[in-house]
Amino acid sequence: MKLRRFLLPVAICLVLAMTYGSVTAGQVKWEPYGPQVDQIIMPIIKDAEAQLIAFNRGDIDVYPGLTRPADINVVKANPNAELTMNYGFHMFYLCYNMRREPLDADILRQAIAHVIDRDNIIQTLFEGYMLPLAAFLPPSSGFYKEDIPRFPYNPEEAKKLLDAAGYTVDPATGIRIDPKTGKPLRKMTIFTPTYEVAPTSAELGKIIAEACQAINLPIEPEPMDFPVMLDKLDMAEFDMYMLAWSLTRIPTSLYNFFHSSNDVEAGYNRPGIRDAELDKLLEGLYYAPSEEAARKAADEAQVILARRQPYTVLYSRPYMDAFRKDRFTGYVPMHGYGAANYTNKWTTLNIKPVKGKGGTVRWLLMEEPKVLNPCTASSAYEWEVLGRLYDDLMEINPETMEDIPWMAKSWEVGTWEPEPGKTGTVITWHLEKGIKWQDTTPFTSRDIKFTLEYLRDNNVPRYISNVQEIVKVETPDDYTAKVYFETESYWHLYRAGGNFLPEWIWKDVKDYKTFEPWLEAHPEVPGLTKVVGHGPFILDQYKVGEYVRLKKNPIYWRLSK
Amino acid sequence: MGFSRYLLRRLGYAVIVLFVIMTFNFAIFRLMPGDATKMIIDPMFTPEAIAELKRQFGLDDPPLVQYFKYVGNLFKFDLGLSFSTRRPVVNELKERLPNTAVLFLASFTLTTIIGISVGVYTASKRGTFGDNFVTGAGLFAFAVPSFWIQLLLLMLFGYYIPILPIHGTMSAPPPDGFLLQFLDRIHHLILPAGSNVIVAFGSWALYTRNTMLEALGQDYIVTARAKGLPENTVLRHHALRSVLPPIVTLIFGALPGMVSGAVITETIFSWHGVGKYLMDAVMQQDYPAAQGAFYLIALAVVICNLAADIVYGIVDPRIRVGEGGAK
Repeated sequence: MKLRRFLLPVAICLVLAMTYGSVTAGQVKWEPYGPQVDQIIMPIIKDAEAQLIAFNRGDIDVYPGLTRPADINVVKANPNAELTMNYGFHMFYLCYNMRREPLDADILRQAIAHVIDRDNIIQTLFEGYMLPLAAFLPPSSGFYKEDIPRFPYNPEEAKKLLDAAGYTVDPATGIRIDPKTGKPLRKMTIFTPTYEVAPTSAELGKIIAEACQAINLPIEPEPMDFPVMLDKLDMAEFDMYMLAWSLTRIPTSLYNFFHSSNDVEAGYNRPGIRDAELDKLLEGLYYAPSEEAARKAADEAQVILARRQPYTVLYSRPYMDAFRKDRFTGYVPMHGYGAANYTNKWTTLNIKPVKGKGGTVRWLLMEEPKVLNPCTASSAYEWEVLGRLYDDLMEINPETMEDIPWMAKSWEVGTWEPEPGKTGTVITWHLEKGIKWQDTTPFTSRDIKFTLEYLRDNNVPRYISNVQEIVKVETPDDYTAKVYFETESYWHLYRAGGNFLPEWIWKDVKDYKTFEPWLEAHPEVPGLTKVVGHGPFILDQYKVGEYVRLKKNPIYWRLSK
Repeated sequence: MGFSRYLLRRLGYAVIVLFVIMTFNFAIFRLMPGDATKMIIDPMFTPEAIAELKRQFGLDDPPLVQYFKYVGNLFKFDLGLSFSTRRPVVNELKERLPNTAVLFLASFTLTTIIGISVGVYTASKRGTFGDNFVTGAGLFAFAVPSFWIQLLLLMLFGYYIPILPIHGTMSAPPPDGFLLQFLDRIHHLILPAGSNVIVAFGSWALYTRNTMLEALGQDYIVTARAKGLPENTVLRHHALRSVLPPIVTLIFGALPGMVSGAVITETIFSWHGVGKYLMDAVMQQDYPAAQGAFYLIALAVVICNLAADIVYGIVDPRIRVGEGGAK
C-alpha cells in the first residue's frame, strides 16, 4: 500500500523533471478583476509548423495546447518563452469487451494490465511529456482517488496470475489454454486508429500486443479507419480498442461509461460491464443529493472499477501552454484547464504587458472558429472566442479547484416535490447587482429564465442534457432565480450556470440553427454585433480565415479598480 | 453537322455527366463506413439529443427521400447546412472561393508563363548546361512532395530570413487604406503562390520542351529555317504556334483547380480556401459540405470541358465535322 502511495508523486516528479522551468498551478498571483489588456487579436494559423514559427518569431504571444514533444523542446529552448504545465482531464485507455470470452474474465484483464509498462511507453513515445495514470479520473479532478487496486508493470506477476487461474501454456502452440474450454485461447485484436491518423495510438497498440504475446496471449494490433472503428465499437464488435476521453471536473462520466443502462447499441458503456453493486454506486453518484454523498459513491465506484478493469487506463496528457514572457506576464496556470484555455478566466483577466499598460495580446487560434452562435458552437476553437465574451454564475478557484461565487454572489441547493412522493432539486441563485450586458442592458434573473426555457423548448442538442429536467424557473425578483429540476441531483448545480442569452435579441430568433449573430449588427449600439455577452471582452471583428479581434468591455462589472 | 448541333450535343453530354456525378456524390458519402453524427456529437449527449440532431439534418429520412430532397435542392443551388457548423454550405463556399481563385490565378498565371517560357528556351538550347539545369530542376521540383518544398520555404522565409508572412491572406489586422491593403495582400501571396510555382513549373516546362522538340523536327520548320527566317521567329511563330492546341487543352484541364483549390498549400499557409474546406468536410463526414464542394468542382470541370470542346470546335473545324462524319 505504501508503494502505491508513492506512485503518483513519483510520476508527477518525472513529468516536472521533464518540464523543468515550467510554471504550474498555484505559483502565480491572480486577481478577480480585469482585463488588463485593451484587446486580444487571435490570428488563425492551422499548420503546426507555421504555429511554431509564428511563436518563435514573435507573431503570437500565447501559444496554447502544445502536444508534440519536438515542438515543446523548441519552445523550451527559446529564452523569451515560458512554458506552463498543468494536469488536464484527458485520459487515454485500453478498453476490453467484457461481453466476449475470454475477456469476460477479470483475471485475464488484470494480467494484461500487468504487462503494460506506462513509464517506458511515455518515455519512448512521448519523450516523457505525459502523466502515467491508472485511476479512472485524472488527478486534476476533485474526485480523483489514489488509493485503489493497481496492477503495476510486472510480467512475472501476470504469468503467475494466469498460471494460478488455469491459463497454462499449450506446449504445441505456445498459446495459453482457456480453462473453460480446454483449448488454446482464440486470437484477439486491439483496434486503434491508423498510423496516418494517430501514429502514437497505433504504435501503442503494437507495443501492448507484443507485451501480451510475451506472456503467451494471442493478441494482435489492428489499426483501422476511424469511422469504421467507431461503428464497430457501437455494435460491440471488438475485443479491445484504444482511445482517449476528454473528461470534465464533474465525475458523472463514471455513470455514463460504466452503468449497465448505458450498455446498449452506441451506448457509452463500451466495455459492457454489468455489475449490480457498481450500478448502485453509480446511481448514487449521478443522483447524489450532496457533494459528500457524491464523493463517497465516486470513491467506492473507483475501487470496483480499478479491481475489475473494464478499462486499463494508461496516461493523461497535461496542458502545455507557451507565453512570450519578454512581452507578457500575469498568466495564471490552472489544473484541469491549463493557463491559456478560455475556461481559465484568470489568465484572460490578469494577462498584461511586461512594460506599460493595456496593449494587444496576440493569442493563437489553431483552427477556424466557424460559428459564433452559443447555441450551435461546438468546437473548442469557437469557445476560445465565445468563452471570453460571457461570464458564468460560478467560477473555479485556480489553486483549489473549488467553486467560487462570480455573477452569483451565493446559491443554495435544496429540494422540492415535483409530484407527491418524488423529490427534485431546486437551485436558488442570488445574483450580483450592477452586471450589464455589453449593450448596457442590466443582467437580471429574467435572462436566466429566458435562456433555460429557450434552450429546453427548442431542444438545442448541446444543452439538452442540462435543461431537459428543468420543470420551471421562477424569478421572485431581478436578482433571484429559482431553477426547479424534476430529479434530485447535486450536479444540477452545474447544469444551469452559464452561456446566457440576451432575451431582447434571441426572443425573435425562430431558428437558432441558422441564426448568425456575429454577422448581424446590433440594432441599437454601433460597433456591436448580435453576439452580446457580459464578459470581459467584446467581439469586435471576425475576419473569416484570418483573425478574431476582441476588445476590452468598457462596462465590465469586474473592471480593475 | 452544323456548329449549333455540335454545341447542343456537347451540352447534352455535359448535363448527363453532371447528373451522374450528382448521384455518385450523394451515394459515395452514404456508402462510406461510419455514422456522420458521431463526428459532431458530444460524449455527454443524451439519446434524445442525438435523435434531435439526426432529425434536424434529415438523416432520419429514408435514403430515397434524402436523394430526392438533395437533387431538388441542388437545382435551387441550395447545398444544405453543414453538419459541423450548421451554416449554409453556399455561404461557406462563397467565403472561400475568392481566396482560392486569387491563389490559383496568381500561381497558375506565373506557372504557365514561366513553365512555357522555360520549355521554349530549353528546347531551343537542347543539350546545353542551361537545358540540363532547368530540366533537372524541373524534374526535381516535380518529383519531390510539394509539402516538403513548401515547408522548407516556410522555414527559410518565415524563420531564418523572416521577410515574408507565413499565414493568411492579410495582416491581422490589415493596414488602413486601399493601397496598403492591396500591397499587404500581395505580400501574403508571395510565399504560397511562389511555392506553387516552384512545385509546378517543371511539368509545364518539360511538356512544352518535349512538344517543341517534336515540332522543331518537322519539315515546315526546316523550310522556315531554309527561307532564312530569324531563329526567334521560327520558334515563336512556327514551332510554338503549332504546339499551342495541346497546351490550350492543358490550360482548360487545369482551370477547375481555381475552384477545387490546393489542399496542401491552403493547409500549410493557413489559406482560407475551398481545398482545405473539402478536406475537412471529408474527414469529418460532413456530407452537405463535401457534397457542396464536390458539386462545385464537378460543375467547374464540366463547364471547362465544355468550353474546351467549343473552343476546339471553333479553332479546328475537323473536330465538329468529324462528329457526324465528313460531309
